[in-house]
Amino acid sequence: MKQAFWLGLALTVLCGCPTEVTSQEEREAAAQATNAGQTEFFESRIRPLLVEHCITCHGSQKQQSGLRLDSRAGLLAGGDSGAVLDLAHPRASRLLTAVGYEDPDLQMPPAPAGKLPSAAIAAFSTWIEQGAFWPAGERPGKPAALASDKTHWAFEPVRPRPIPSVQDRAWPRSPVDYFVLSRLEGQGMTPAPDADRTALIRRVTFDLIGLPPSDAEVAAFVDDPRPDAYARLIDRLLDSPHYGERWGRYWLDVARYADTKGYVRLQEERRFYCAFTYRDYVIAAFNEDLPYDRFLVEQLAADQLPPGTDPRALAALGFLTLGRQFTGNKHDVIDDRIDVVTRGLLGLTVTCARCHDHKYDPIPTADYYSLYGVFASSEDVIFPTPLGKPTAGAAAKQYESDLAARQRELDDYEPKQYAALLNEFRSRVADYLIKAIAGREPPQQPLPKAAGEIRQIVVERWIEYLERTGPTHPVWGPWHAFAALQPEQFETAAGAIIAGWSTPGGERQAPRVHATVKSYFASDPPHSMADVARGYGELLAQVHQRWQTLLASTAAAGSGALGRLSDPDEEELRQVLYGDDSPVAVRPLEALAEYLYDAPINEEIVRRRNAIHQYLSHAAGGPPRAHTLIELPVPCEPRVFVRGNPTRPGRQVPRQFLKALSPGQRKPFAQGGGRLELARAITSRDNPLTARVAVNRVWEHHFGTGLVRSPSNFGLRGEAPTHPELLDYLAARFMEEGWSIKQLHRWILLSHTYQQGSGDDVLRSRDPENRLYGRMNRRRLDFEALRDALLATAGRLDRTLGGPSAELTVPGANRRTVYGLIDRQGLPGMLATFDFASPDAHSPQRYTTIVPQQALFLMNSPLMADLARAFAGRADLKSLPAGADRAAAMIRGAWGRPASEREIKLSLEYIAREPADAPADASLSGWEAFAQALLLANEFSYVD
Amino acid sequence: MSTNPKRNSDRTHREPPSVSRRELLRRSGMGLAALAMLPLLEGEAARAGTVADARRSHFPGKAKRIIHLFMNGGPSQVDTFDPKPLLEKYAGRELPTGNLQTERRTGAAFPSPFKFQKYGQSGIEVSELFPHVAESIDDIAVIRSMVADIPNHEPSLLLMNCGEARLPRPSMGSWLTYGLGSENQNLPGFVALCPGGLPIQGAQNWQSGFLPGIHQGTYIDTQHTQVEKLIEHIQSRLGSERQRRQLDLLAALNQDHLNRSQHDRDLEARIESFELAYRMQSEATEAFDVSREPQHVLDMYGPGTQARQILIARRLVERGVRFVQVWHGAQQPWDSHNDIQDHARLARECDQAIGALLKDLKQRGLLDETLVIWGGEFGRTPSVELPNPLIGQAKANGRDHNHYGFSMWLAGGGVKGGITHGATDEFGFRAVEKPVHVHDLHATILHLMGFDHERFTFPYAGRDFRLTDVHGQVVGELLA
Repeated sequence: MKQAFWLGLALTVLCGCPTEVTSQEEREAAAQATNAGQTEFFESRIRPLLVEHCITCHGSQKQQSGLRLDSRAGLLAGGDSGAVLDLAHPRASRLLTAVGYEDPDLQMPPAPAGKLPSAAIAAFSTWIEQGAFWPAGERPGKPAALASDKTHWAFEPVRPRPIPSVQDRAWPRSPVDYFVLSRLEGQGMTPAPDADRTALIRRVTFDLIGLPPSDAEVAAFVDDPRPDAYARLIDRLLDSPHYGERWGRYWLDVARYADTKGYVRLQEERRFYCAFTYRDYVIAAFNEDLPYDRFLVEQLAADQLPPGTDPRALAALGFLTLGRQFTGNKHDVIDDRIDVVTRGLLGLTVTCARCHDHKYDPIPTADYYSLYGVFASSEDVIFPTPLGKPTAGAAAKQYESDLAARQRELDDYEPKQYAALLNEFRSRVADYLIKAIAGREPPQQPLPKAAGEIRQIVVERWIEYLERTGPTHPVWGPWHAFAALQPEQFETAAGAIIAGWSTPGGERQAPRVHATVKSYFASDPPHSMADVARGYGELLAQVHQRWQTLLASTAAAGSGALGRLSDPDEEELRQVLYGDDSPVAVRPLEALAEYLYDAPINEEIVRRRNAIHQYLSHAAGGPPRAHTLIELPVPCEPRVFVRGNPTRPGRQVPRQFLKALSPGQRKPFAQGGGRLELARAITSRDNPLTARVAVNRVWEHHFGTGLVRSPSNFGLRGEAPTHPELLDYLAARFMEEGWSIKQLHRWILLSHTYQQGSGDDVLRSRDPENRLYGRMNRRRLDFEALRDALLATAGRLDRTLGGPSAELTVPGANRRTVYGLIDRQGLPGMLATFDFASPDAHSPQRYTTIVPQQALFLMNSPLMADLARAFAGRADLKSLPAGADRAAAMIRGAWGRPASEREIKLSLEYIAREPADAPADASLSGWEAFAQALLLANEFSYVD
Repeated sequence: MSTNPKRNSDRTHREPPSVSRRELLRRSGMGLAALAMLPLLEGEAARAGTVADARRSHFPGKAKRIIHLFMNGGPSQVDTFDPKPLLEKYAGRELPTGNLQTERRTGAAFPSPFKFQKYGQSGIEVSELFPHVAESIDDIAVIRSMVADIPNHEPSLLLMNCGEARLPRPSMGSWLTYGLGSENQNLPGFVALCPGGLPIQGAQNWQSGFLPGIHQGTYIDTQHTQVEKLIEHIQSRLGSERQRRQLDLLAALNQDHLNRSQHDRDLEARIESFELAYRMQSEATEAFDVSREPQHVLDMYGPGTQARQILIARRLVERGVRFVQVWHGAQQPWDSHNDIQDHARLARECDQAIGALLKDLKQRGLLDETLVIWGGEFGRTPSVELPNPLIGQAKANGRDHNHYGFSMWLAGGGVKGGITHGATDEFGFRAVEKPVHVHDLHATILHLMGFDHERFTFPYAGRDFRLTDVHGQVVGELLA
């Protein structure tokens, strides 16, 4: 009885999912058909061991190292490191190595459980020797139930939605209102009363330009009798150049914008000194209402758009290039780019699939590496690309000659060193092949190298290259044949292989073997793989030598460029060293970043390059520049990295778009790396996500919450929209009418919904989170709006547009916050304290924390003292008599509304108790302290 | 320590609607008074409904707070807490087991120039570098089988601090303040002390990653001795009396606004934040002022910057700061590639103060609930680092990085004292007995603080993240 219970339990555990448990009868029937003794042995000895010691980590819940031990299929499939069973050589099974603790790197179960008792190890051994019997008819449970992605709302096409009917036909002012009101009415609720005009102009001004309205603007709007006064106000704000500064900054959160690369090693420049041209591009794009689809295409592939377009668009590529640089780890850089593109533009968390299929969304690992291939097919340019020509004039002349001088310094040196480096790699193939035989090594951070040292990166490239070739490759087929031999039988078996090449008639079936390779090994059969490596090395060194000699003589004779060697056999060998996919064809930038040069040479190249960087970063007279990228001559053919580990490349996948968003058969990308095709797929009208995600972000910034409250996750684990029809209505119309963000603003802002007041006790209790939008959300100013409003109120704001980034924390920093220098490695405390978006990765939305550190900054920082003084010292205020009039004017100046009598009374009482004279020390006068209190008030920091 | 600060009810009296108060409690998972130290989350996470759950430990933790003494650069195990006499036998010769691959090339066996001796009841051997620490050896659990992944500073620092070697992830201190809040609303919950600048990887070592920014460590440059220079914006410009009057005016104006604004909970919390900030000024100033310590305590910790910052650490945990990380210095002071004798100087700088800290905490009854962690991001090779003229190293008397096996120790906070755990091979190169990976250490630390590391998660970018990612096992033998 006890045994039966235990077995049932074991099965439940093994299968994970109770509905899939094979019934006891079925299992027993199956067992009867097999060897009853084996079943008995398995159930009494082996299964208990598996259940107790193995399947917690290798079962339905977890699959450590990709291994499952809860079914025979799993057992036979093995894990990431290959097979665990070797039924031909049972003793060599990795499973036995592991449980026997024979290899210090492979010990199972691991600490703290520790080694199994020897009886248990013996049981495993017996079981495997007898063929690893497993009762028939058992299926493993699924890892996690995949919710149906076929019916997930966000993957459904965007459909134009009919406008719903409502009872209160007088209330709606725009289509948006019908969607909102019909839901409110459905709940028996009514919208909040309208905001008054003073509140409304403050709200919409902060919303669109991120600044408070001036007293005059408030008065003009409040007194404007025209019926379209509000629409005119919106037009004025949308036409303001400050609009792009506000909305561009929202986009910079999406784009994880920063002016620095994050942590960098050794001598690398830590700043992106031209990052600001991307920021200015974004601001201009919003100001000019660049259609959103075009905006995205430019950010993904401006370099591949037809020439003749505005060269400023190249700056758009900063969207990809300005992420953290991860000390040069390209896999992480690409991961960051996949993340910013998929979460930022599609609301999909694709990077979850870097190591395994996405657990919730229909994103297989293969899709991740399809995108990986797209981004791995481009390379960031070394020197930021000029956006247009230098202007005319003396400064431009000077610029051109200064730059040319520095460029010459570099050109006189680097190409020579680069040629010498490639020459070294081409001459020393044997050394590299011998290292390649030893296999991959764990990735290391690049460090300076001594002359003659083997470059592991190049070894890895040889390993990849050899894997690409395979046994049928004419040149490398013999390599693979020899490599498959056991060392003990190498000589005899190698002889047989060589003999096989000259078997009469054998060539008809067998793949062609390169003639020179064939004759080389036939005349001097190898005794080991090292001999094979030396043989290839010798042949390739010869062809390299011949080609170099030929090049030199051609150059001496002054004849044209050489294309190839005339002997096709020789040319085939030459391609190994000179072809586009040659393992030694490292690019100059790669050579530098990976320290492939000898240390002193590396240093010298960097010195000469940095001279150019430093000149460009502050040269007057030159054109603006941008951090762009270019396509590589040979696109990356991506392979899935097993468990995300680049040293374990698995099967090859095409570069193509995500399966979940591709109706019908997918076509692999064919134009270069496929970035432009990716951009077109993202901005396709058929893509169900792009427009929805964009519309939702705009809605969120107007209301404080999105219709979908997980703005960068529209997947199965994201939140469903509160108003799906409204979202679709807006998304469909957005695409229909040309992807105009400014039009989208108008649809939302002209709605009655947006113009509601924020105060309504009844609605607050019925819908505390305001999911039905039966009122306006009261919102705190974000850091940019707070700082800009403080500067504006103090009369200190510098409204200059665009240009290089400026430090925000130095005294007298008066530019708008969007122009502040963002150092992702050392974000100023002020920004972190006020919930600025982390520039480390794409930021879906800001946190809103309320903490005393914010209060301390506002109370005690030098900046605030300075602004309080400036505000109190504003000519228009200081000229008023020091009494009720001045207090009232200051309250209006800070909060944008008339002061109440009680407020004036409180203020005057306060002033009366303050010292009459301005203090001599760094402190504030009474009026200045009063000014500060007004800036600290909730009414300053919140918008109704 | 004020775990229950007085509300200034006379000045800012109000009666918020009960719905709002419940909402606050739900969101913070703590008392209302503690609220302002905790952010009001408006983000993805709050809506996923897990924040409130995470805001409580899963079970009562034995440790309430942590002091992490970070010997950045990587202290050598065979010169400190892991004696390997067999190295003498092979001195100057190749190790029979061969050298493991580390960052740079190393050569022959290099015995420790420092003498070891047994200490305490437990008789655990400690080298002459740490005689003061050794006096408390019976309160210490030495882990001699630590393992990390890569022999480079940058990834190993991030692994030790954030559980992930490359990608931006929250640090352990951020996780813990996120999970537990601070016991003292008038001080930041997570403080990173480092004199003279930042360690390698800078502020990423105490980053909050995807957690709200307020949970990142507050960096304090302990090179400064004046309190006003230590903490930003802590000093009132107006002086206490005038500032109080100014804040009273502010409170009155805010109260009117609140009354017109349906007692909005955010507005209330912001009003309270000014009162907390006001109290913080005096409390934080006091906490960082070591000159208030009696002379015998100052003498016990000894002279110098290390002594001062370690004493500050004690004053902070005494006041309820959750996580204090004490870095030895800017860059990577313990990185003795060229000359292991540097270790003697470094140990002299901190040994007395660390010894004093352990005794001091014990005398005050704080050691039981304060976890003290000592260690670097990895250890060093038992083989000598070969001279490398490329980077100006000529002495051939130092050791390279070693992530295959190294020593750390824990004391207090529910840790079993007077034990060693695990072992490296006979030369001290690789952990061979009961290896403890950094993820296991994290799992154990979270356990001591009352968290099941597998359930302590935060939803981000479509997935529930953990400090230990998909790894880590609690090392039960370290628990008292």
